[in-house]
Amino acid sequence: MEKVIGIDLGTTNSCVALIENGVPTVIPNRGGYKTTPSMVAITEAGKRLVGHIAKRQAITNAENTVYAAKRLIGRKWTSPQVKNAVATSSYRIVQGPHMDVRIVLRDKEYSVSEVSAMVLQEMKVIAEDYLGQPVSKTVITVPAYFNDNQRQATKDAGEIAGLDVIRIINEPTAAALSYGFGKNVEKTIAVYDFGGGTFDISILEIGSSGVFKVVATAGDTFLGGEDVDARVIDWLVQGFKTEHAIDLRQDRMALQRLKDAAEKAKCELSSVRDTEINLPFIISSGRNEALHLQRTIDRQTLEDLSSDLIERTIDICQQTLLDAHLDKQDIEEVLLVGGMTRMPKIQRMVADFFERDPCKGVHPDECVALGAGIQGAALTDDKHEMVLLDVTPHALGIMTQGGYFEELIPQNTTVPTHRTKIFTTSRDHQTAVKIVVMQGESQRAEENELLGEFILTGLRRAPKGSVEIEVTFEINADGIVSVHAKDLETGKEQSIEVTASSGLTRDEIRDMMEDAKDYMVERRSTEEFEAAKQEAERIVGEIERLLPQVEQIVATSDFGRDAIEKARSIVTKARAAIGRRDLAAVKSEIEGLSRTHRMFKGVVAKTH
Amino acid sequence: MTKTPPSKNKRKTPLPRSAGEVTRDRQSERPTVNPPFDVQAFARAAAGPAEPIEPGSSDAVDPGERSERITITNEVELEIARAKSAQNSEPPQPRTSALLIADALVSSSPPPRSITPTNIESAVLGALASSPAPEITERTIEDPASEMRERFSLGDYSGALEMAELILAGDPSNLEAAECGENCRSTLLQMYAAKIGSLDRIPTVLVPRTQMRWLSIDHRAGFILSLIDGTSTIEMVLDVAGMPRLDSLRILHELAQRRIVAFR
Repeated sequence: MEKVIGIDLGTTNSCVALIENGVPTVIPNRGGYKTTPSMVAITEAGKRLVGHIAKRQAITNAENTVYAAKRLIGRKWTSPQVKNAVATSSYRIVQGPHMDVRIVLRDKEYSVSEVSAMVLQEMKVIAEDYLGQPVSKTVITVPAYFNDNQRQATKDAGEIAGLDVIRIINEPTAAALSYGFGKNVEKTIAVYDFGGGTFDISILEIGSSGVFKVVATAGDTFLGGEDVDARVIDWLVQGFKTEHAIDLRQDRMALQRLKDAAEKAKCELSSVRDTEINLPFIISSGRNEALHLQRTIDRQTLEDLSSDLIERTIDICQQTLLDAHLDKQDIEEVLLVGGMTRMPKIQRMVADFFERDPCKGVHPDECVALGAGIQGAALTDDKHEMVLLDVTPHALGIMTQGGYFEELIPQNTTVPTHRTKIFTTSRDHQTAVKIVVMQGESQRAEENELLGEFILTGLRRAPKGSVEIEVTFEINADGIVSVHAKDLETGKEQSIEVTASSGLTRDEIRDMMEDAKDYMVERRSTEEFEAAKQEAERIVGEIERLLPQVEQIVATSDFGRDAIEKARSIVTKARAAIGRRDLAAVKSEIEGLSRTHRMFKGVVAKTH
Repeated sequence: MTKTPPSKNKRKTPLPRSAGEVTRDRQSERPTVNPPFDVQAFARAAAGPAEPIEPGSSDAVDPGERSERITITNEVELEIARAKSAQNSEPPQPRTSALLIADALVSSSPPPRSITPTNIESAVLGALASSPAPEITERTIEDPASEMRERFSLGDYSGALEMAELILAGDPSNLEAAECGENCRSTLLQMYAAKIGSLDRIPTVLVPRTQMRWLSIDHRAGFILSLIDGTSTIEMVLDVAGMPRLDSLRILHELAQRRIVAFR
C-alpha cells in the first residue's frame, strides 16, 4: 500500500512523519535532524539551498534567502500582513500579475507557493530517502485561521512539489490527533502553540469515537521564537558596543554568528541555569585587531528579556477563552506545541494561567507532523474508524443592501454543514439579484474577503420585499463552499461553487511543476554523479597505494609492465571522466577500476 | 634558493623579495634595503659574507634585460605572502606555530575578556623577531593597466587581480580589466582548489575551541572557522561563507597550511 506522509509546513521549521508498523514516526533528514528549517536561498553561483544550509547563510545572503514565506502564502498584495512583510523582510517582495505576491531572488520572480514548494520538495526527498521508494500522497497542516485562499495556495505548493495533497488539516487538530492517538479520549483541550515565527492558541473538543472539534482559535502571526532570539542579540550587541564602541549589527558575518549563538543559548537555557556565548574573532577593530565576544547569559536574564512577549501570549489565551464563552475550569488538558514551549518560564506561566500542569506526553516539535501522518493513514486505511470533524475558520455570508455582511455560517462551525436563509428584494420591480459570497467576521462587507458572486435573474416584477429568495450555503468535508439561490415563487435557481484562488493560474502551476521536476532530475543526477565520483576516487586511491608494490613485483615481466600501463591508463581515463562530469563514463570506468584493484590485491597477496 | 631578478625601474609597488637582494650604498658599508624586507631572510644573509656583484658575472643582470634563467614561483605561496604583507599591523609570522608557544607561556587563569590575539602574539613573537616589523609605505601606481598586464605575464595573478579591481573601481566599464580580473580569479580558484583537493572533503578544526582565541587570524577567518562543524563539506562551507569563493578558498588554504584545520 502506498505510504502517506504527513507534513507540518511550519513558519520557521518543517517536519515530516508517517505511520510505520502502526507507530507514528518522524523521519529525520540527512543530517539526522527531525525538523528542517523552512528556508530557501539562491547563492551567487545560482545554487539553490534549502533547509539547514540555507539558514546558515541567512544573514550573509539576506537579500536572497526567503524565510517565513508562510506569512505570505495565499494572501493578496493589499493585505496588511503583506505590507508588514514588505517593510520588514530582507528579501524583495513585489506584486504579482493577479494581485498576488511574488518574491524576487537573484533577479528572478517566484510565487510564494513556488517557494513553499521548494521546502515541501525537500520534505518529500527526506521521506523518499528514508523509505527507499517514491512518495506522492500527503496530508499537510496549516494554521486554523487560514482562509480558503491560503489553504488552496498551500495545496498548490504541494502540487508544484509533485505531491498529491489528499487533505489539508489544521495544526491544533493535528496536535490533538497525536495526543489522542491510541487512547479513548473525550476532553476539551487547549493547544498552546508557540513556534519559531508565530503563536496560536486553539480550544478543541475531543468527542467519543475520535471526533475532534475546534471550538475556537486565535493568535499572532508575528510573534515567535525568533523574536526572543532578537532580544538576546540586542543584549549581546549592546554589551559589545559598550565595551568596544563597535556595533556588531553592521557586519553580516558577525550578525550571522550572533543569531546562531543566540538561538543556541536560548535553547540551552531551557535545561541549564546559565550558558556561555563564546565567539572568537567576531569582528576586526579599526586597528585591524580581531576582537572576541565572550559573555555568560543566565536563565533569569533571558526571561527578563522576553517577559513581555510571553505575557502577550497569555493575553491572547485570555481573550480566546472569552470569545469561546469558556472558563479555565472547562479546559481539561493543555498541549504545548512548538520549540518555545520548552522554556521553563512559558511552562510556568501556562500552568499558572490554565491552573493545571501542561501535558508532557506530546513532542512539541513533532506532534503536528505526527498528527498529519495519523490523518493520512486514516484517510487511506479502511481499518481506521477515526472521524475528524473540522471547522470553518471564518464566518461565511453574503453582502446585503447598504454594504452590510449577513452571516449564514458562523465562524468555527463544524464542517460539513449547510445553512439556509430567506432574503428579499430591496427595490420595486427588481428582476435580478446579485449574490456576493464573502468570508470574514466584520459587519461591513468591504472589510471581509470576497469569495465569489453570481446573479439570479427572472424574478417577478413586484414591490420590494414581496419576492422571497432562499439562499443556501453548503460546505462539504473537503471544505468546498457551494452557494445556492432560489426564487421560491418561480422555482428558478442559480448556484456557484466557490473555488479558492491562490493567485496562480493552472498554466502557471503547470510550468512551476515542470521547473520543480527538472530541478529534481538535475539534483538526483548530481547526487548520483557525486556518489559514483566518490567510489571511483576511492578505488583510484587504493590502486595508487598498491601501485609501487605491484610495480616492484612485476617489473621484470613484459606482461607485468603491460598490466601496469593498462592500469595507469584506466586511472587516467577515470580521472578524465570525473573531470568531464560524465556519469555514464565514470560508472563504466568503475568496473575497470574494480577489476584492476582486484588484480593488484591478488598480485600483492600472492607474494606474501 | 632561487634569485629573482632585480625590479625594473618602472615598478612602483612592493613585491616580495628574496634574501640577498640588497644594493650597496657606496658611501657606507652598511647596506640600504628597499622596504618591505624579510627580517629573517635578511638575518640569514647577514650571517655570511656578502659578495659584491661583478659586472659580467652570471649573477649580474642588466636592469634593462630579463634573466634568461627560468624562475619558478609558487603562485599560492606568493598569494599568501601578498595577503600577509597587506596586513599592516601584523609582523611576519614565523613557521613555528604561535599557538604552541602561547600555550607554553599563557597562565592557567582565565584570560581577561578583551584581550586580543595580537597583543599576545607581539609578546611571544618578540622573542623570535630580531627587529621591529617593517613599515609598508604606499606608492603611487602611475599606469595600473600596464602594471596589471605585467603582473599577469609574470604569473602574479593575485597582483594582477588587485590591479584589475583598482582599475574597475575607477572605470567599471573597462573590458580589459574585467576580462583580466575574471581570468585571474579563475586561475587562482583552480590553484587553491587543486591545493585543497576535493571539495567533498570535510574540514575539521584541529585547535581546541578554548584555545582558538590565541590564534593570529582575522574575523573573516574566524567566521570560516565558525562554519566548520565536522559534518559540512568544503563545498557547503563555501556556499554559506557569504564572501567571494576565492576569498573563502584562500582562507581555508591558509588555515590548513597553519594546521588550524585539516581535511578528511
